[in-house]
Amino acid sequence: MEKAKLIDYTKFKLKPREEIEEIFKRVNRIFIIECLKCYRRFDDNTSEFPRLLDILGEAGRKISGNIGIDFLCNNFLSRKKILSLEFPFDEDIGVISCGLGVQFVAQVLEGKSVYALADSLPQSANSTTEVGFHGISLQEEKCAGCSECYLNLTGGICPLTRCAKGLLNGPCGGAKNGKCEVNPNIDCIWEKIYERFKKQGRRLTLNSVQIRNYSRPSLNLRKNLSVQNQARRGESFYGGLYPPDKKENTANKKIENFPEPEIVTIFLSQHTGKRARPLVKVGERVLRGQKIGEAEGFVSVPVHSSISGKVISLKEEIHPASLKKELALIIENDGENLIDPSAQPFRDFRNLSKDSLLKIIREKGIVGLGGAMFPTAVKLTPPKPVDTLLINGCECEPYLNSDNRVMIEYPEEIFEGVKIVQKILEVEKVFIGVEDNKSEALKILERHKEKIPSIKLLSLKTKYPQGAEKMLIKKVLDREVPPGGLPFDVGVIVLNISTVFAIYQAIVKGLPLIQRVITISGEDLKKSGNYLIKIGTPLREIVTHSFGEKREFFSEYELKMGGPMMGISQTHLDSAVIKGTTGFTILKKSSVKVSEERDCIKCGRCVEVCPMQLYPHYYVFYGKRGEWEKAKDYKVEDCIECGCCEAICSSKIPILSFIKKEKEYARNASKT
Amino acid sequence: MLVMQVKPEEEILSRVWGRRVFIFECFGCREVHFPEEKIETLVEKFKEKVIGKLSCDYLCRREFVQDYINEYCQEIERAEIILIFSCGVGTQVVSSLLEDKIVYTACDTLYLNGFQGLTVQDFNCNQCGECYLNYTGGICPLTNCPKGLLNGPCGGAKNGKCEVNPEADCAWELIYNRLKKQGRLNLLKRVFPPRNYQKIITESLLRKGV
Repeated sequence: MEKAKLIDYTKFKLKPREEIEEIFKRVNRIFIIECLKCYRRFDDNTSEFPRLLDILGEAGRKISGNIGIDFLCNNFLSRKKILSLEFPFDEDIGVISCGLGVQFVAQVLEGKSVYALADSLPQSANSTTEVGFHGISLQEEKCAGCSECYLNLTGGICPLTRCAKGLLNGPCGGAKNGKCEVNPNIDCIWEKIYERFKKQGRRLTLNSVQIRNYSRPSLNLRKNLSVQNQARRGESFYGGLYPPDKKENTANKKIENFPEPEIVTIFLSQHTGKRARPLVKVGERVLRGQKIGEAEGFVSVPVHSSISGKVISLKEEIHPASLKKELALIIENDGENLIDPSAQPFRDFRNLSKDSLLKIIREKGIVGLGGAMFPTAVKLTPPKPVDTLLINGCECEPYLNSDNRVMIEYPEEIFEGVKIVQKILEVEKVFIGVEDNKSEALKILERHKEKIPSIKLLSLKTKYPQGAEKMLIKKVLDREVPPGGLPFDVGVIVLNISTVFAIYQAIVKGLPLIQRVITISGEDLKKSGNYLIKIGTPLREIVTHSFGEKREFFSEYELKMGGPMMGISQTHLDSAVIKGTTGFTILKKSSVKVSEERDCIKCGRCVEVCPMQLYPHYYVFYGKRGEWEKAKDYKVEDCIECGCCEAICSSKIPILSFIKKEKEYARNASKT
Repeated sequence: MLVMQVKPEEEILSRVWGRRVFIFECFGCREVHFPEEKIETLVEKFKEKVIGKLSCDYLCRREFVQDYINEYCQEIERAEIILIFSCGVGTQVVSSLLEDKIVYTACDTLYLNGFQGLTVQDFNCNQCGECYLNYTGGICPLTNCPKGLLNGPCGGAKNGKCEVNPEADCAWELIYNRLKKQGRLNLLKRVFPPRNYQKIITESLLRKGV
């Protein structure tokens, strides 16, 4: 496909030489703040500063410093940047930006003389009232946002923005040979409108006289919308998205047992850290809950069999999280579910010491069930003192309901689990954060928590990614985890609600982590719901179950382990459920293939939505040039891979794949 | 960034007028209130006439829309009219790609303050091409004063509020206060000639691709 022509919609250009010289006569010292431009093909040539120096010549020595800021009008990020600069008392500020940037800087630095060094470029012909903008594309079409669309009368060609006189009732009569009389280089747009009608076999008739209502849209309406929008954006934390949550499908479905799998594929690596060492041989019989893999080293946990049966092989399968081949034990189900004697309830769990509790948690193979699979026993022995325990029940991913259902159906168990963790960590303060779209869970938890006054239940605004650790800590405790740091750096331990449930089951019921609750949901499914599923259940059974038949799957559908935002796209049906599986989302593949990678048009949407306050477009920029190591300058390690940037990208660039590669580079660089 | 409002129901129904419709719906840069539910109930009223519906984001990206149109060409071919729920840009893109089809928009478009740049703001830029901010303490008289006055207030303000809209502050009073704070009131002595609208028209209409 031919690459589409992109129009450069740069919003400003430097003022004429005389004007700049005049400004510089008036000032003694000046600091230059420059916007690095938006809405243009993203390349290196974004700075106007060298050109300013050219114009100034000798007077350039009055400049005491300069800074280039991407998207200067970004209320939040740019304000932080500007306020972090220190200006001497007698220094003036020069701004190279469109009118928005200038007004913004003047507002932030109210006591300073702020000079505009650039003029904004007109975007629309009809500038007699405020003119709007052009959607988000870099195409020719423009919209004045007049709030009384005339396109229905004119065959889809806008007379307001494209007729020099903005006429609404036909041509002025001054056109010659189809060219405008105001400027002969421009087509007469009314002639174009006429031609389009002719092409469609319609007659261009205007039944009524159109008069523009300049009081629309009212200043108040626009102001209100802007205020609303800003409030919504800034809600809870900077950035983030409001994807349609799609939870209603499975929100009210009770947790059921997933049908018994014929075989289970139990990966020896289901946790962050070293792979477990297999304890059983091929041909050996194992029992449900029997330890079949031993932890190797401190950051590691054992794995257990989720069924009783015979080990039929030890081989490599595609791991659903790393998508690489990893060692797994395949066990054939005998259907009897004989329980291993080690899986016995601890009757005296209330009297157990902190160390023996930790030992049980480790022995029972508990890891973080939110997806990261970090060994919980390690997490609960933080190297720094902590004062707060934060239980994460946000589940901000669309479609998923597993945590939600656990909260609704096992509230008592959860509070019991919280008490155990409280004892281990010796903390008083406990918060449980739940997004406000889970009203039922909130109600039930509220009812049960009355007995324990030290626990605070928080209803949080639904916004993606509220459930990300760092966002949650910021929102609940107003503490900021330092870049590259972990929650314990600010005295917090964050546990997922399902992890707490698993801790309860391990300690009170003596049950190792061999099953968990997951949600299976998505598009076109015959069966969806929340299931108690055995770890190791092959993905093939999930597909068969949800469609009611075996079928050619990957050509039409995408199977994501997790939700649609952060879920990992599966490639192999022999892969299996692991401890970190929160659910499966099955999505129809888009019938339209977006094959061509489009250029970044620097629309800045990714910057707006990045909750970590990063500048994702640079990752694409350097990635496409193969300069992977440069992303480190833009703090690529801080990225939490929430996928907001990719979801919003107006050019459909797979930003995350760039970021993942760049993170790898950054990690390797810091190792050497 | 543009925000859309659905046009009055009667107007849309009279446009459809019993004809076969193909619908484009854009959910691309929806910001505050994208009227999803309203659209649903509206489309319900003539649903037997709808022969296809395409929802996508960024309907303003031509190359992208072309891909979609190719995919749905049969339905589009059969449709008598195309109805678009999108901003003015989206409508213009589709109608320029489907030149021989009757394309109607079902939305009126307005835009948010501050959205020529990146984020929503309290203030706005008129893109006038001759920035006055140097003389007004960084407060734009064109966008903040309903009359767009360049040479001081009109005299109609009461208690610092605008006479056109008593909820809004008089921009010139804000300008005066800011300049006073900075000790730069002498800037107000300058008289500006009338605005040069010619500049706007030709510069904007002649903008070409990169």
